[in-house]
Amino acid sequence: MAEVEFERRLERMFSEAPELPDAQAFASRVERRLDRGWTTRRWLIGVAGVVGGLVGAAQLIMSNFLSQVESASTGSAKVLSVGLSEVAPRIEWMATLPSGPGLVWVASALAVVALGFALTRVIGEI
Amino acid sequence: MAGVQQLRHASLHDVELAGLAAAGDRRAFGELARRHGSAVRGLLRRMGAPSAEADDAAQDAFVAAFERITEFRGEGTFAGWVKKIAARLYLRRLQRARRLRDLAVEADDAPAATGGGAEDRIDLDEGLKALGPAERMCVTLCFGAGLSHAEAADALGLPLGTVKSHVKRGLERLRARLAPSDSDTLEGRRGNG
Repeated sequence: MAEVEFERRLERMFSEAPELPDAQAFASRVERRLDRGWTTRRWLIGVAGVVGGLVGAAQLIMSNFLSQVESASTGSAKVLSVGLSEVAPRIEWMATLPSGPGLVWVASALAVVALGFALTRVIGEI
Repeated sequence: MAGVQQLRHASLHDVELAGLAAAGDRRAFGELARRHGSAVRGLLRRMGAPSAEADDAAQDAFVAAFERITEFRGEGTFAGWVKKIAARLYLRRLQRARRLRDLAVEADDAPAATGGGAEDRIDLDEGLKALGPAERMCVTLCFGAGLSHAEAADALGLPLGTVKSHVKRGLERLRARLAPSDSDTLEGRRGNG
Protein backbone atom coordinates (compact mmCIF):
# COMPACT_ATOMS: atom_id res chain seq x y z
CA MET A 1 0.00 0.00 0.00
CA ALA A 2 2.81 2.39 0.92
CA GLU A 3 4.38 1.68 -2.44
CA VAL A 4 1.23 2.62 -4.29
CA GLU A 5 0.87 5.78 -2.24
CA PHE A 6 4.43 6.73 -2.98
CA GLU A 7 3.94 6.12 -6.69
CA ARG A 8 0.83 8.31 -6.70
CA ARG A 9 2.72 10.99 -4.85
CA LEU A 10 5.57 10.78 -7.32
CA GLU A 11 3.17 11.17 -10.23
CA ARG A 12 1.70 14.24 -8.58
CA MET A 13 5.16 15.70 -8.03
CA PHE A 14 6.05 15.12 -11.65
CA SER A 15 2.83 16.75 -12.84
CA GLU A 16 3.29 19.78 -10.60
CA ALA A 17 6.06 21.34 -12.66
CA PRO A 18 6.41 25.05 -11.89
CA GLU A 19 5.78 27.49 -14.73
CA LEU A 20 9.09 28.77 -16.04
CA PRO A 21 9.53 32.55 -16.21
CA ASP A 22 10.02 32.53 -19.99
CA ALA A 23 6.90 30.46 -20.75
CA GLN A 24 5.50 33.21 -23.00
CA ALA A 25 8.79 33.58 -24.88
CA PHE A 26 8.92 29.82 -25.38
CA ALA A 27 5.39 29.81 -26.80
CA SER A 28 6.31 32.68 -29.13
CA ARG A 29 9.30 30.71 -30.40
CA VAL A 30 7.06 27.73 -31.08
CA GLU A 31 4.59 29.96 -32.94
CA ARG A 32 7.39 31.49 -35.00
CA ARG A 33 8.58 28.03 -35.97
CA LEU A 34 5.07 27.04 -36.98
CA ASP A 35 4.70 30.24 -39.03
CA ARG A 36 8.08 29.67 -40.68
CA GLY A 37 7.15 26.09 -41.50
CA TRP A 38 3.84 27.25 -42.93
CA THR A 39 5.47 29.90 -45.12
CA THR A 40 8.03 27.40 -46.38
CA ARG A 41 5.27 24.91 -47.12
CA ARG A 42 3.26 27.50 -49.04
CA TRP A 43 6.30 28.37 -51.12
CA LEU A 44 7.01 24.73 -51.79
CA ILE A 45 3.41 24.13 -52.79
CA GLY A 46 3.45 27.19 -55.05
CA VAL A 47 6.70 26.14 -56.69
CA ALA A 48 5.40 22.58 -57.06
CA GLY A 49 2.25 23.95 -58.68
CA VAL A 50 4.20 26.08 -61.15
CA VAL A 51 6.56 23.22 -61.97
CA GLY A 52 3.59 20.89 -62.37
CA GLY A 53 1.89 23.37 -64.68
CA LEU A 54 5.04 23.77 -66.74
CA VAL A 55 5.53 20.02 -66.95
CA GLY A 56 1.90 19.63 -67.97
CA ALA A 57 2.27 22.32 -70.63
CA ALA A 58 5.50 20.75 -71.89
CA GLN A 59 3.85 17.35 -72.07
CA LEU A 60 0.93 18.77 -74.04
CA ILE A 61 3.22 20.54 -76.48
CA MET A 62 5.58 17.57 -76.86
CA SER A 63 2.75 15.12 -77.50
CA ASN A 64 1.94 16.55 -80.91
CA PHE A 65 -0.59 18.79 -79.30
CA LEU A 66 0.70 21.77 -81.24
CA SER A 67 -0.19 20.51 -84.69
CA GLN A 68 -3.48 19.08 -83.50
CA VAL A 69 -4.46 22.43 -82.03
CA GLU A 70 -3.42 24.17 -85.25
CA SER A 71 -5.88 22.09 -87.22
CA ALA A 72 -8.50 22.05 -84.54
CA SER A 73 -8.28 25.75 -83.81
CA THR A 74 -9.48 26.70 -87.31
CA GLY A 75 -12.54 24.52 -86.93
CA SER A 76 -13.06 25.60 -83.34
CA ALA A 77 -12.79 29.22 -84.30
CA LYS A 78 -15.54 28.75 -86.87
CA VAL A 79 -17.73 26.97 -84.34
CA LEU A 80 -17.04 29.70 -81.82
CA SER A 81 -17.83 32.40 -84.33
CA VAL A 82 -21.12 30.75 -85.20
CA GLY A 83 -21.92 30.21 -81.55
CA LEU A 84 -21.07 33.75 -80.62
CA SER A 85 -23.03 35.23 -83.48
CA GLU A 86 -26.07 33.26 -82.31
CA VAL A 87 -25.70 34.38 -78.75
CA ALA A 88 -24.63 37.92 -79.58
CA PRO A 89 -28.07 39.36 -80.15
CA ARG A 90 -29.01 38.31 -76.63
CA ILE A 91 -25.72 39.02 -74.85
CA GLU A 92 -24.07 41.87 -76.62
CA TRP A 93 -20.87 41.95 -74.59
CA MET A 94 -19.90 38.46 -75.64
CA ALA A 95 -19.58 39.65 -79.19
CA THR A 96 -16.58 41.69 -78.10
CA LEU A 97 -14.63 38.50 -77.25
CA PRO A 98 -11.92 37.61 -79.75
CA SER A 99 -13.10 34.72 -81.85
CA GLY A 100 -10.16 33.22 -83.60
CA PRO A 101 -7.36 30.72 -83.07
CA GLY A 102 -6.03 33.02 -80.33
CA LEU A 103 -9.03 32.22 -78.16
CA VAL A 104 -8.16 28.53 -78.29
CA TRP A 105 -4.62 29.30 -77.21
CA VAL A 106 -5.87 31.42 -74.32
CA ALA A 107 -8.17 28.60 -73.31
CA SER A 108 -5.25 26.17 -73.46
CA ALA A 109 -3.14 28.47 -71.28
CA LEU A 110 -5.99 28.74 -68.78
CA ALA A 111 -6.27 24.98 -68.75
CA VAL A 112 -2.56 24.73 -67.89
CA VAL A 113 -3.03 27.25 -65.07
CA ALA A 114 -6.02 25.27 -63.82
CA LEU A 115 -3.94 22.10 -63.95
CA GLY A 116 -1.22 23.79 -61.92
CA PHE A 117 -3.82 25.04 -59.44
CA ALA A 118 -5.36 21.60 -59.09
CA LEU A 119 -1.92 20.09 -58.54
CA THR A 120 -1.19 22.74 -55.94
CA ARG A 121 -4.39 21.88 -54.09
CA VAL A 122 -3.66 18.17 -54.20
CA ILE A 123 -0.14 18.66 -52.81
CA GLY A 124 -1.56 21.04 -50.21
CA GLU A 125 -4.05 18.43 -49.06
CA ILE A 126 -1.33 15.79 -48.88
CA MET B 1 -6.94 42.14 -32.83
CA ALA B 2 -4.18 39.71 -31.84
CA GLY B 3 -4.73 40.65 -28.21
CA VAL B 4 -8.45 39.91 -28.45
CA GLN B 5 -7.70 36.58 -30.08
CA GLN B 6 -5.17 35.77 -27.37
CA LEU B 7 -7.74 36.57 -24.69
CA ARG B 8 -10.31 34.39 -26.41
CA HIS B 9 -7.82 31.54 -26.64
CA ALA B 10 -6.87 31.93 -23.00
CA SER B 11 -10.45 31.20 -21.98
CA LEU B 12 -10.73 27.99 -24.00
CA HIS B 13 -10.17 24.43 -22.83
CA ASP B 14 -7.19 22.47 -24.16
CA VAL B 15 -9.44 20.24 -26.26
CA GLU B 16 -11.10 23.27 -27.87
CA LEU B 17 -7.70 24.80 -28.58
CA ALA B 18 -6.52 21.53 -30.09
CA GLY B 19 -9.61 21.54 -32.31
CA LEU B 20 -8.80 25.05 -33.51
CA ALA B 21 -5.17 24.06 -34.06
CA ALA B 22 -6.32 21.08 -36.11
CA ALA B 23 -8.15 23.57 -38.33
CA GLY B 24 -4.85 25.41 -38.83
CA ASP B 25 -5.07 28.03 -36.06
CA ARG B 26 -1.42 28.40 -35.08
CA ARG B 27 -2.20 31.02 -32.43
CA ALA B 28 -4.46 28.54 -30.66
CA PHE B 29 -1.62 26.06 -30.63
CA GLY B 30 0.65 28.81 -29.31
CA GLU B 31 -1.67 29.08 -26.32
CA LEU B 32 -1.26 25.34 -25.72
CA ALA B 33 2.52 25.77 -25.91
CA ARG B 34 2.29 28.62 -23.39
CA ARG B 35 0.21 26.53 -20.99
CA HIS B 36 2.21 23.32 -21.17
CA GLY B 37 5.66 24.39 -22.38
CA SER B 38 7.07 24.57 -18.88
CA ALA B 39 5.84 21.10 -17.99
CA VAL B 40 7.39 19.61 -21.11
CA ARG B 41 10.67 21.43 -20.64
CA GLY B 42 10.68 20.40 -16.99
CA LEU B 43 10.14 16.77 -17.94
CA LEU B 44 13.06 16.81 -20.37
CA ARG B 45 15.30 18.42 -17.79
CA ARG B 46 14.30 15.72 -15.35
CA MET B 47 15.25 13.15 -17.96
CA GLY B 48 18.72 14.63 -17.74
CA ALA B 49 18.70 17.08 -20.65
CA PRO B 50 20.70 20.28 -20.16
CA SER B 51 18.42 23.37 -20.15
CA ALA B 52 19.19 24.54 -23.70
CA GLU B 53 18.82 21.06 -25.15
CA ALA B 54 15.61 20.52 -23.20
CA ASP B 55 14.18 23.73 -24.65
CA ASP B 56 15.19 22.75 -28.20
CA ALA B 57 13.71 19.30 -27.82
CA ALA B 58 10.54 20.74 -26.28
CA GLN B 59 10.16 23.08 -29.27
CA ASP B 60 10.63 20.14 -31.63
CA ALA B 61 8.02 18.23 -29.64
CA PHE B 62 5.44 21.02 -29.92
CA VAL B 63 6.08 21.39 -33.65
CA ALA B 64 5.71 17.62 -34.05
CA ALA B 65 2.55 17.73 -31.93
CA PHE B 66 1.11 20.44 -34.19
CA GLU B 67 1.86 18.31 -37.24
CA ARG B 68 -0.18 15.46 -35.80
CA ILE B 69 -2.68 17.40 -33.73
CA THR B 70 -5.57 15.53 -35.37
CA GLU B 71 -4.40 12.42 -33.50
CA PHE B 72 -5.19 14.12 -30.19
CA ARG B 73 -8.83 13.43 -29.42
CA GLY B 74 -8.94 14.57 -25.83
CA GLU B 75 -9.02 11.07 -24.38
CA GLY B 76 -6.11 11.93 -22.08
CA THR B 77 -4.72 15.32 -21.19
CA PHE B 78 -2.96 17.40 -23.82
CA ALA B 79 0.01 17.78 -21.49
CA GLY B 80 0.31 14.01 -21.13
CA TRP B 81 0.08 13.53 -24.88
CA VAL B 82 2.72 16.09 -25.74
CA LYS B 83 5.00 14.86 -22.92
CA LYS B 84 5.05 11.41 -24.48
CA ILE B 85 5.96 12.91 -27.83
CA ALA B 86 8.69 15.00 -26.21
CA ALA B 87 10.15 12.07 -24.27
CA ARG B 88 10.32 9.89 -27.37
CA LEU B 89 11.81 12.69 -29.48
CA TYR B 90 14.45 13.35 -26.85
CA LEU B 91 15.35 9.66 -26.69
CA ARG B 92 15.69 9.64 -30.47
CA ARG B 93 18.00 12.61 -30.18
CA LEU B 94 20.12 10.74 -27.67
CA GLN B 95 20.12 7.72 -29.93
CA ARG B 96 21.32 9.78 -32.88
CA ALA B 97 24.10 11.23 -30.76
CA ARG B 98 24.90 7.69 -29.55
CA ARG B 99 24.37 8.81 -25.99
CA LEU B 100 21.58 6.36 -25.31
CA ARG B 101 24.02 3.48 -25.35
CA ASP B 102 25.56 4.80 -22.16
CA LEU B 103 22.37 3.92 -20.33
CA ALA B 104 22.56 0.29 -21.36
CA VAL B 105 26.13 -0.18 -20.16
CA GLU B 106 25.79 2.05 -17.15
CA ALA B 107 27.24 0.60 -14.00
CA ASP B 108 25.46 0.96 -10.71
CA ASP B 109 27.36 4.08 -9.79
CA ALA B 110 24.53 6.14 -8.35
CA PRO B 111 25.22 7.78 -5.03
CA ALA B 112 24.14 5.73 -2.09
CA ALA B 113 20.75 6.63 -0.71
CA THR B 114 20.60 8.38 2.61
CA GLY B 115 17.88 7.98 5.16
CA GLY B 116 14.74 10.03 4.70
CA GLY B 117 13.09 12.22 7.24
CA ALA B 118 11.54 15.62 7.58
CA GLU B 119 14.97 17.16 8.07
CA ASP B 120 16.17 15.53 4.84
CA ARG B 121 13.29 16.86 2.80
CA ILE B 122 14.44 17.72 -0.66
CA ASP B 123 12.46 18.32 -3.77
CA LEU B 124 11.95 15.91 -6.61
CA ASP B 125 14.58 17.48 -8.83
CA GLU B 126 17.24 17.07 -6.17
CA GLY B 127 16.07 13.52 -5.56
CA LEU B 128 16.35 12.67 -9.25
CA LYS B 129 19.86 14.08 -9.39
CA ALA B 130 20.87 11.54 -6.80
CA LEU B 131 19.85 8.67 -9.08
CA GLY B 132 22.00 7.03 -11.71
CA PRO B 133 21.28 8.17 -15.29
CA ALA B 134 19.43 4.98 -16.22
CA GLU B 135 17.31 4.98 -13.05
CA ARG B 136 16.54 8.63 -13.49
CA MET B 137 15.57 8.13 -17.11
CA CYS B 138 13.38 5.12 -16.40
CA VAL B 139 11.62 6.68 -13.41
CA THR B 140 11.00 9.92 -15.33
CA LEU B 141 9.71 8.11 -18.39
CA CYS B 142 7.30 6.00 -16.34
CA PHE B 143 6.12 8.56 -13.81
CA GLY B 144 6.70 11.85 -15.62
CA ALA B 145 5.95 10.99 -19.24
CA GLY B 146 3.38 8.36 -18.36
CA LEU B 147 4.95 5.55 -20.39
CA SER B 148 4.35 1.98 -19.28
CA HIS B 149 7.39 -0.12 -18.46
CA ALA B 150 7.03 -1.87 -21.79
CA GLU B 151 6.82 1.43 -23.69
CA ALA B 152 9.84 2.76 -21.84
CA ALA B 153 11.79 -0.42 -22.60
CA ASP B 154 10.85 -0.11 -26.26
CA ALA B 155 11.79 3.57 -26.42
CA LEU B 156 15.08 2.98 -24.65
CA GLY B 157 15.92 -0.20 -26.52
CA LEU B 158 16.45 -2.00 -23.20
CA PRO B 159 15.02 -5.33 -22.02
CA LEU B 160 11.79 -4.97 -20.06
CA GLY B 161 13.33 -6.60 -16.99
CA THR B 162 16.17 -4.09 -17.00
CA VAL B 163 13.77 -1.18 -17.11
CA LYS B 164 11.70 -2.67 -14.31
CA SER B 165 14.74 -3.09 -12.11
CA HIS B 166 15.93 0.46 -12.88
CA VAL B 167 12.50 1.78 -11.91
CA LYS B 168 12.39 -0.34 -8.76
CA ARG B 169 15.84 0.76 -7.64
CA GLY B 170 15.13 4.36 -8.56
CA LEU B 171 11.92 4.35 -6.56
CA GLU B 172 13.66 2.87 -3.55
CA ARG B 173 16.32 5.54 -3.68
CA LEU B 174 13.79 8.31 -4.19
CA ARG B 175 11.62 7.06 -1.37
CA ALA B 176 14.60 7.11 0.91
CA ARG B 177 15.38 10.67 -0.01
CA LEU B 178 11.92 12.20 -0.20
CA ALA B 179 10.24 12.88 3.07
CA PRO B 180 6.82 11.35 3.62
CA SER B 181 3.97 13.60 2.70
CA ASP B 182 0.87 14.28 4.72
CA SER B 183 -1.18 14.19 1.56
CA ASP B 184 -0.26 10.57 0.85
CA THR B 185 -3.78 9.37 1.31
CA LEU B 186 -4.78 8.59 -2.21
CA GLU B 187 -5.24 5.01 -3.11
CA GLY B 188 -5.25 3.20 -6.38
CA ARG B 189 -3.01 1.20 -8.56
CA ARG B 190 -0.96 2.54 -11.42
CA GLY B 191 -1.73 0.73 -14.66
CA ASN B 192 1.88 0.16 -15.44
CA GLY B 193 2.92 -3.18 -16.80
